[in-house]
Amino acid sequence: MPLSEQRFAWFRHISEILYLFLIALSFYLLFLSRTGEARTVWEVLHPAFIPTLFVATSLLSMILLTSEKVSYKLLFIIVHSVLIHSFFSVIFPAGDLSGQQMDLGRARLIYDNAVLHGLPLPSGEPLSSQIFKRFNGTNFHAALSVIFARMFSIDLLWVHLFLVPVLWGGFTPIAAYLTTYTFTQNEKVAVLSSLFISAFPYATYFGAISVPNSLGFIFFFYSLYFMLENLHSDDFKTKVLMLVFSFFSLLSHYLTGVIALSLLALTIAFKSYRSEKTSFTTAKFSLMISFIVSVSLLPLSLIYLRLFRPTTQTAFTLDKFYELPAEEVIGLSLIGELIYGFDLKIALLVIIGPAIALLCMIYQLYSLKRNPTAKFRTHIYFLCAAFLMMLLDYRILKLFMSGLPLNEERLWVFRDFIAVPFVALAIYEVVSSLKAFLKAKSPPTISTASLKMLSKANILRVLSLVLTLNVLIPVLLGGWITLSLSAAYPQVAPLQTTWYELEAVKCIEENTNEKYVVIADTWTIYAGEVIVGVSNPRAYYFGEFNKTGYDLFVNMKQNPSPQWMLLAMNYTDTTIAYFIVTEPRLGTEEFNNVVSRALQNKQLTVEGVFGARKLYVFSYSKG
Amino acid sequence: MKNLSELSSIEKLIIRDNKFLFTALSFATVFLCFLNLSLSNLPLLGTIATLAYFLINGIFLGHAFFEKEDAFFRFMFGVLLLIMLLGFVGWLAVIIYNLDVFRFTLVLLIVATLSSLSNRRVKSKNAT
Repeated sequence: MPLSEQRFAWFRHISEILYLFLIALSFYLLFLSRTGEARTVWEVLHPAFIPTLFVATSLLSMILLTSEKVSYKLLFIIVHSVLIHSFFSVIFPAGDLSGQQMDLGRARLIYDNAVLHGLPLPSGEPLSSQIFKRFNGTNFHAALSVIFARMFSIDLLWVHLFLVPVLWGGFTPIAAYLTTYTFTQNEKVAVLSSLFISAFPYATYFGAISVPNSLGFIFFFYSLYFMLENLHSDDFKTKVLMLVFSFFSLLSHYLTGVIALSLLALTIAFKSYRSEKTSFTTAKFSLMISFIVSVSLLPLSLIYLRLFRPTTQTAFTLDKFYELPAEEVIGLSLIGELIYGFDLKIALLVIIGPAIALLCMIYQLYSLKRNPTAKFRTHIYFLCAAFLMMLLDYRILKLFMSGLPLNEERLWVFRDFIAVPFVALAIYEVVSSLKAFLKAKSPPTISTASLKMLSKANILRVLSLVLTLNVLIPVLLGGWITLSLSAAYPQVAPLQTTWYELEAVKCIEENTNEKYVVIADTWTIYAGEVIVGVSNPRAYYFGEFNKTGYDLFVNMKQNPSPQWMLLAMNYTDTTIAYFIVTEPRLGTEEFNNVVSRALQNKQLTVEGVFGARKLYVFSYSKG
Repeated sequence: MKNLSELSSIEKLIIRDNKFLFTALSFATVFLCFLNLSLSNLPLLGTIATLAYFLINGIFLGHAFFEKEDAFFRFMFGVLLLIMLLGFVGWLAVIIYNLDVFRFTLVLLIVATLSSLSNRRVKSKNAT
């Protein structure tokens, strides 16, 4: 090995060790940020965390541009990815206050064998509805969480919180790498794309919360890769894997399943277009028809979801055009929900990636026109069509539909998956052009000996080359990824599940031998779901959207008396009822009023006071 | 480099699965998980058993379905398929009845058997 290469390898190893040290430090700082009472991660994040992460990410970007082995580069990216998707799980005691706690509540029932014969299926429910309940992603997600919890022999809470961050961190970078490599055949571009998936805020957010939809996104990304593989291969195994991953996308969540099916239809069309023996016009026409079918599959499936889920009220509508001012409609069609609470920085961070990808796609399509024999033209056409499909579907859902069972912005994750290879390609092209430009302007050989003999102007050129390639570009890339975290993790949020809410729920669970019911606000119900599950017949917490539970809590707030607790016990066939009130949830004035009235009622017993008198638990038992 | 060649030799050893040694080892990890859940509930023991289970069966599945891929991708694909298989069989158990300790053990055994059989199938196909 020549001396200069040896020096470079030595420098690379030092950078890698430094990177690993900084990542370990970042994990440590993240653990230091753990808190029992906060609204957002930004309130409590250690002040040294973001600077450390920024330096580590810049260093990683630098390592990616070297000739290190791909597997090592991917391992470094995986560690980085797990770190940036673990904010909620590490910092908050029960993860993000969202759907993941509801899913954990359902998984808890399976883990504790609280409900037998599958999840509870009310009798008299239509068959289609029962099929949907069995096939919806909650069961698959819960099964995975329970299996891991039993294998590791640790509590379900920990496994559930870290399941998606770890799987996402471990497998999406590889999917991004493979997808990009399939049509670029360039390892450096592919590795860059596996890092840059973290620069897309919505993708980062879904990788940080443990919900079935996130699992579906992971499987969808692999089905996308096998679809691309299938475009140039007739291998039976590729076809089977493409279908298997699409099936698992569907098993995890209907949204990812439907999008995978839409893209499957598009893949078949592109593949037949590629090998089309008929006329050019006929082939183009059939491709167009397939594209329209693929675009319409998602809106139509959401409409017909009501066959399986009767509560769904999705419909096509033009109401938004009549009700909203023209500028709002235009804003919605351009940047979607970002127009509400518009923050330029956040909007830019969400839009910049897809915008670069769009420009790169246009450039690629233009290049393909000049080079009709390009090897991977079908792949690029397919990805451009898929990207366009996502843009159209988002606008159809946003502007022409109402009563959707999910927010339309979830489509941005699919869009980001398709965009990331093109962003990496664009970055690589810019870096390569810069390199070529600066090299052309610099002397041919650079060594310490020759440096002394160079003129001032040439030294400046050499320095600019070294600085730009090894410092400026990695710093810019590292800065972009670190900054995009501020758009990924919410800046405003309600108070997360607190340590004293969890303590109160645990205390009740540990000290009650009979069947019990808890009357509480939605936030405490989330805490209850995390520990004992939702609607557990032995330890009953009403579901988050249960009207009876809500009404009972409102009545107890207004008039804390055993009357409502007896009603709750009769309704749930339990013998003890608990009433929980929390100061930060009710507000100081209302909390004090409710507590003083409850204390005056001698029939109610104070079961416990938690969190420096911020939470009271009252109880009443039958007989 | 040395680490990589060591990993590669471990992989070859597991794939060869002489006299079903690694299949038996994989079943032993399942039994260990079952015993751990029934008696001690030690996370350390669970973690060791899980890692061994994932290593053996991940390599089996990686070899069975992604033989032509690079070693790193082969292993990662194997682990992903293993997770999917565990999830799928677990999901079947949930929708049919439940996923208590006994059925959980059954799920692990089914997946370990399927992985070992897939590995055997590809191995015998390559031998002919």
